[in-house]
Amino acid sequence: MFNKRRDKEDGVQSTQESHGMTPEKGNGPIPGTLGIKSASNGNLKPSVISEGFEFIGEIRSNGYLTIDGTVRGTLSLHSVQIGSTGTLDGNLVCETVNVKGNFSGSLDCSDLTIGSRAIVDGKLTYKSITIQRGGIVKGELRKKG
Amino acid sequence: MSDTNQNGCLTVGEGVILNGTFIVPESASISGNIEGEITARELILTSTAVIRGKVTADVIDLRGEIYDTLIAKKSLFIRSTGKIVGTVQYAEIEIEKGGELQGTMQKIEPAPAAPAYAAPTGSGNSDSTSEA
Repeated sequence: MFNKRRDKEDGVQSTQESHGMTPEKGNGPIPGTLGIKSASNGNLKPSVISEGFEFIGEIRSNGYLTIDGTVRGTLSLHSVQIGSTGTLDGNLVCETVNVKGNFSGSLDCSDLTIGSRAIVDGKLTYKSITIQRGGIVKGELRKKG
Repeated sequence: MSDTNQNGCLTVGEGVILNGTFIVPESASISGNIEGEITARELILTSTAVIRGKVTADVIDLRGEIYDTLIAKKSLFIRSTGKIVGTVQYAEIEIEKGGELQGTMQKIEPAPAAPAYAAPTGSGNSDSTSEA
Protein backbone atom coordinates (compact mmCIF):
# COMPACT_ATOMS: atom_id res chain seq x y z
CA MET A 1 0.00 0.00 0.00
CA PHE A 2 2.67 2.42 1.10
CA ASN A 3 4.75 1.64 -1.92
CA LYS A 4 1.88 2.26 -4.23
CA ARG A 5 1.14 5.64 -2.74
CA ARG A 6 4.76 6.70 -2.85
CA ASP A 7 5.02 5.70 -6.47
CA LYS A 8 1.99 7.73 -7.31
CA GLU A 9 3.31 10.78 -5.55
CA ASP A 10 6.64 10.44 -7.30
CA GLY A 11 4.91 10.06 -10.59
CA VAL A 12 2.73 13.08 -10.12
CA GLN A 13 5.79 15.15 -9.38
CA SER A 14 7.45 13.90 -12.52
CA THR A 15 4.56 14.77 -14.74
CA GLN A 16 4.21 18.19 -13.25
CA GLU A 17 7.86 18.79 -13.83
CA SER A 18 7.63 17.75 -17.43
CA HIS A 19 4.56 19.84 -17.95
CA GLY A 20 6.49 22.78 -16.64
CA MET A 21 9.01 22.29 -19.39
CA THR A 22 6.61 22.33 -22.31
CA PRO A 23 7.30 24.83 -25.06
CA GLU A 24 4.60 27.11 -23.74
CA LYS A 25 7.44 28.47 -21.68
CA GLY A 26 9.15 29.41 -24.89
CA ASN A 27 12.40 27.48 -24.65
CA GLY A 28 11.28 23.92 -25.18
CA PRO A 29 12.63 21.98 -28.14
CA ILE A 30 10.66 21.49 -31.30
CA PRO A 31 9.90 17.83 -31.80
CA GLY A 32 12.07 16.18 -34.35
CA THR A 33 15.03 18.46 -33.80
CA LEU A 34 18.27 17.65 -32.13
CA GLY A 35 21.10 19.67 -30.71
CA ILE A 36 19.07 21.67 -28.28
CA LYS A 37 22.16 22.36 -26.27
CA SER A 38 21.35 25.33 -24.16
CA ALA A 39 22.86 26.74 -21.03
CA SER A 40 19.66 25.92 -19.24
CA ASN A 41 20.61 22.25 -19.21
CA GLY A 42 22.44 22.61 -15.97
CA ASN A 43 19.53 24.39 -14.31
CA LEU A 44 17.03 21.65 -14.94
CA LYS A 45 16.67 19.02 -12.29
CA PRO A 46 16.40 15.47 -13.56
CA SER A 47 12.88 14.13 -13.81
CA VAL A 48 11.96 10.63 -12.80
CA ILE A 49 9.12 8.41 -13.91
CA SER A 50 9.39 6.01 -11.04
CA GLU A 51 8.75 2.30 -10.90
CA GLY A 52 5.10 1.33 -10.99
CA PHE A 53 4.10 4.57 -12.64
CA GLU A 54 2.74 4.74 -16.15
CA PHE A 55 2.85 7.85 -18.27
CA ILE A 56 1.06 8.20 -21.59
CA GLY A 57 1.60 11.31 -23.64
CA GLU A 58 4.23 13.74 -24.79
CA ILE A 59 7.26 15.00 -22.89
CA ARG A 60 9.48 17.84 -24.08
CA SER A 61 12.47 19.11 -22.20
CA ASN A 62 16.07 20.21 -22.45
CA GLY A 63 16.85 18.19 -19.39
CA TYR A 64 17.27 14.69 -18.13
CA LEU A 65 14.67 12.01 -17.63
CA THR A 66 15.01 8.69 -15.88
CA ILE A 67 12.35 6.13 -16.69
CA ASP A 68 11.92 3.35 -14.17
CA GLY A 69 8.22 2.96 -14.84
CA THR A 70 6.35 2.79 -18.12
CA VAL A 71 6.16 5.56 -20.69
CA ARG A 72 4.16 5.46 -23.90
CA GLY A 73 4.29 8.37 -26.25
CA THR A 74 6.54 10.95 -27.83
CA LEU A 75 9.59 12.24 -26.02
CA SER A 76 11.98 15.01 -26.93
CA LEU A 77 14.73 15.46 -24.39
CA HIS A 78 18.42 16.05 -23.92
CA SER A 79 19.15 12.87 -22.09
CA VAL A 80 17.16 9.76 -21.19
CA GLN A 81 17.98 6.80 -19.07
CA ILE A 82 15.67 3.81 -19.14
CA GLY A 83 16.32 1.94 -15.93
CA SER A 84 16.25 -1.84 -15.63
CA THR A 85 12.59 -1.76 -14.60
CA GLY A 86 11.72 0.91 -17.14
CA THR A 87 9.83 0.56 -20.40
CA LEU A 88 9.55 3.13 -23.14
CA ASP A 89 7.23 2.58 -26.05
CA GLY A 90 7.07 5.31 -28.66
CA ASN A 91 9.16 7.97 -30.35
CA LEU A 92 12.25 9.37 -28.71
CA VAL A 93 14.42 12.22 -29.96
CA CYS A 94 17.38 12.75 -27.72
CA GLU A 95 21.11 13.48 -27.45
CA THR A 96 22.13 10.74 -25.07
CA VAL A 97 20.22 7.54 -24.39
CA ASN A 98 21.12 4.82 -21.96
CA VAL A 99 18.87 1.79 -22.07
CA LYS A 100 18.97 -0.76 -19.28
CA GLY A 101 15.34 -1.82 -19.59
CA ASN A 102 12.99 -2.09 -22.54
CA PHE A 103 12.61 0.19 -25.50
CA SER A 104 10.39 -0.21 -28.51
CA GLY A 105 9.57 2.31 -31.17
CA SER A 106 11.69 4.81 -33.03
CA LEU A 107 14.76 6.45 -31.61
CA ASP A 108 16.88 9.30 -32.94
CA CYS A 109 19.96 10.13 -30.87
CA SER A 110 23.66 10.93 -30.88
CA ASP A 111 24.98 8.64 -28.23
CA LEU A 112 23.25 5.32 -27.68
CA THR A 113 24.23 2.87 -24.95
CA ILE A 114 22.45 -0.45 -24.65
CA GLY A 115 23.02 -2.30 -21.40
CA SER A 116 23.52 -6.00 -20.92
CA ARG A 117 19.94 -6.70 -19.89
CA ALA A 118 18.27 -4.29 -22.25
CA ILE A 119 15.81 -5.24 -24.95
CA VAL A 120 15.61 -2.74 -27.78
CA ASP A 121 13.30 -3.14 -30.72
CA GLY A 122 12.55 -0.69 -33.46
CA LYS A 123 14.05 1.90 -35.74
CA LEU A 124 17.26 3.28 -34.29
CA THR A 125 19.23 6.22 -35.65
CA TYR A 126 22.46 7.09 -33.89
CA LYS A 127 25.85 8.72 -34.23
CA SER A 128 27.62 6.46 -31.82
CA ILE A 129 26.46 3.11 -30.46
CA THR A 130 27.64 0.84 -27.67
CA ILE A 131 26.05 -2.50 -26.90
CA GLN A 132 27.12 -4.36 -23.83
CA ARG A 133 27.33 -8.14 -24.00
CA GLY A 134 23.89 -9.64 -23.49
CA GLY A 135 21.95 -6.66 -24.80
CA ILE A 136 19.26 -7.58 -27.31
CA VAL A 137 18.70 -5.38 -30.35
CA LYS A 138 16.16 -6.02 -33.06
CA GLY A 139 15.06 -3.88 -35.96
CA GLU A 140 16.57 -1.31 -38.25
CA LEU A 141 19.76 0.53 -37.42
CA ARG A 142 21.05 3.60 -39.18
CA LYS A 143 24.11 5.69 -38.51
CA LYS A 144 23.93 9.45 -38.92
CA GLY A 145 26.57 11.65 -40.46
CA MET B 1 54.11 -18.59 -41.32
CA SER B 2 52.95 -21.83 -42.95
CA ASP B 3 54.69 -23.79 -40.18
CA THR B 4 52.38 -22.29 -37.59
CA ASN B 5 49.24 -22.99 -39.64
CA GLN B 6 46.80 -25.29 -37.93
CA ASN B 7 44.63 -27.84 -39.67
CA GLY B 8 41.35 -26.41 -40.85
CA CYS B 9 42.42 -22.79 -40.52
CA LEU B 10 42.59 -19.97 -43.05
CA THR B 11 44.78 -16.91 -42.95
CA VAL B 12 44.35 -14.13 -45.47
CA GLY B 13 47.08 -11.51 -45.35
CA GLU B 14 46.68 -7.80 -45.91
CA GLY B 15 46.43 -6.89 -49.58
CA VAL B 16 45.26 -10.35 -50.62
CA ILE B 17 42.04 -10.39 -52.64
CA LEU B 18 39.97 -13.57 -52.70
CA ASN B 19 36.83 -14.44 -54.64
CA GLY B 20 34.64 -17.43 -54.07
CA THR B 21 33.16 -19.68 -51.41
CA PHE B 22 35.21 -20.65 -48.38
CA ILE B 23 34.38 -23.23 -45.76
CA VAL B 24 36.75 -23.11 -42.83
CA PRO B 25 36.23 -25.84 -40.18
CA GLU B 26 38.19 -23.97 -37.56
CA SER B 27 39.47 -20.43 -37.36
CA ALA B 28 39.74 -17.89 -40.17
CA SER B 29 41.91 -14.83 -39.71
CA ILE B 30 41.32 -12.22 -42.38
CA SER B 31 43.31 -9.09 -43.09
CA GLY B 32 42.64 -8.88 -46.83
CA ASN B 33 39.58 -8.56 -49.06
CA ILE B 34 37.09 -11.34 -49.65
CA GLU B 35 34.19 -11.33 -52.05
CA GLY B 36 31.81 -14.22 -51.79
CA GLU B 37 30.72 -16.55 -49.08
CA ILE B 38 32.67 -17.60 -46.02
CA THR B 39 31.71 -20.06 -43.31
CA ALA B 40 33.94 -20.64 -40.32
CA ARG B 41 33.78 -21.69 -36.70
CA GLU B 42 35.71 -18.66 -35.57
CA LEU B 43 36.23 -15.59 -37.70
CA ILE B 44 38.70 -12.88 -36.86
CA LEU B 45 38.77 -9.77 -39.02
CA THR B 46 41.56 -7.29 -38.50
CA SER B 47 41.12 -3.58 -39.18
CA THR B 48 42.22 -3.90 -42.83
CA ALA B 49 39.79 -6.72 -43.63
CA VAL B 50 36.81 -6.19 -45.92
CA ILE B 51 34.30 -8.93 -46.71
CA ARG B 52 31.48 -8.49 -49.20
CA GLY B 53 29.04 -11.35 -49.23
CA LYS B 54 27.57 -13.84 -46.84
CA VAL B 55 29.47 -14.48 -43.65
CA THR B 56 28.53 -17.27 -41.26
CA ALA B 57 30.45 -18.14 -38.11
CA ASP B 58 29.92 -19.25 -34.52
CA VAL B 59 32.16 -16.57 -33.10
CA ILE B 60 33.06 -13.34 -34.87
CA ASP B 61 35.59 -10.79 -33.71
CA LEU B 62 35.31 -7.79 -36.00
CA ARG B 63 37.78 -4.96 -36.41
CA GLY B 64 37.27 -4.68 -40.16
CA GLU B 65 34.24 -4.31 -42.41
CA ILE B 66 31.50 -6.67 -43.50
CA TYR B 67 28.91 -5.82 -46.16
CA ASP B 68 25.77 -7.77 -46.99
CA THR B 69 24.87 -10.64 -44.67
CA LEU B 70 26.30 -11.74 -41.35
CA ILE B 71 25.21 -14.66 -39.18
CA ALA B 72 26.89 -15.10 -35.82
CA LYS B 73 25.56 -18.31 -34.26
CA LYS B 74 27.17 -17.74 -30.88
CA SER B 75 28.73 -14.37 -30.38
CA LEU B 76 29.47 -11.24 -32.33
CA PHE B 77 31.97 -8.72 -31.04
CA ILE B 78 32.29 -5.47 -32.97
CA ARG B 79 35.40 -3.52 -31.94
CA SER B 80 35.74 0.23 -32.25
CA THR B 81 37.01 0.05 -35.86
CA GLY B 82 34.47 -2.58 -36.88
CA LYS B 83 31.71 -1.89 -39.36
CA ILE B 84 28.74 -3.91 -40.57
CA VAL B 85 26.30 -2.82 -43.25
CA GLY B 86 23.50 -5.18 -44.14
CA THR B 87 21.52 -7.93 -42.46
CA VAL B 88 22.80 -9.20 -39.14
CA GLN B 89 21.66 -12.26 -37.22
CA TYR B 90 23.26 -12.91 -33.88
CA ALA B 91 22.85 -14.94 -30.72
CA GLU B 92 24.86 -12.56 -28.57
CA ILE B 93 26.27 -9.18 -29.47
CA GLU B 94 28.66 -6.63 -28.06
CA ILE B 95 29.70 -3.35 -29.68
CA GLU B 96 32.49 -1.12 -28.52
CA LYS B 97 32.03 2.62 -28.77
CA GLY B 98 32.94 3.65 -32.31
CA GLY B 99 31.77 0.42 -33.84
CA GLU B 100 29.31 0.88 -36.67
CA LEU B 101 26.19 -1.11 -37.34
CA GLN B 102 23.72 -0.33 -40.09
CA GLY B 103 20.89 -2.43 -41.38
CA THR B 104 18.50 -5.01 -40.05
CA MET B 105 19.17 -6.74 -36.77
CA GLN B 106 17.69 -10.04 -35.75
CA LYS B 107 18.36 -12.12 -32.68
CA ILE B 108 18.56 -15.88 -33.12
CA GLU B 109 18.80 -18.66 -30.57
CA PRO B 110 22.38 -19.64 -29.77
CA ALA B 111 23.73 -22.62 -31.67
CA PRO B 112 22.98 -25.86 -29.81
CA ALA B 113 25.77 -27.31 -27.72
CA ALA B 114 28.06 -29.88 -29.30
CA PRO B 115 26.19 -33.16 -29.99
CA ALA B 116 28.59 -35.01 -27.66
CA TYR B 117 27.04 -33.08 -24.77
CA ALA B 118 23.73 -35.01 -24.83
CA ALA B 119 25.26 -38.47 -24.60
CA PRO B 120 27.16 -38.11 -21.30
CA THR B 121 24.12 -36.57 -19.58
CA GLY B 122 21.99 -39.54 -20.55
CA SER B 123 24.55 -42.09 -19.43
CA GLY B 124 25.13 -40.10 -16.25
CA ASN B 125 21.46 -40.39 -15.38
CA SER B 126 21.30 -44.13 -15.98
CA ASP B 127 24.48 -44.55 -13.89
CA SER B 128 23.00 -42.76 -10.95
CA THR B 129 19.78 -44.80 -11.09
CA SER B 130 21.67 -48.08 -11.24
CA GLU B 131 23.76 -47.02 -8.25
CA ALA B 132 20.66 -46.14 -6.29
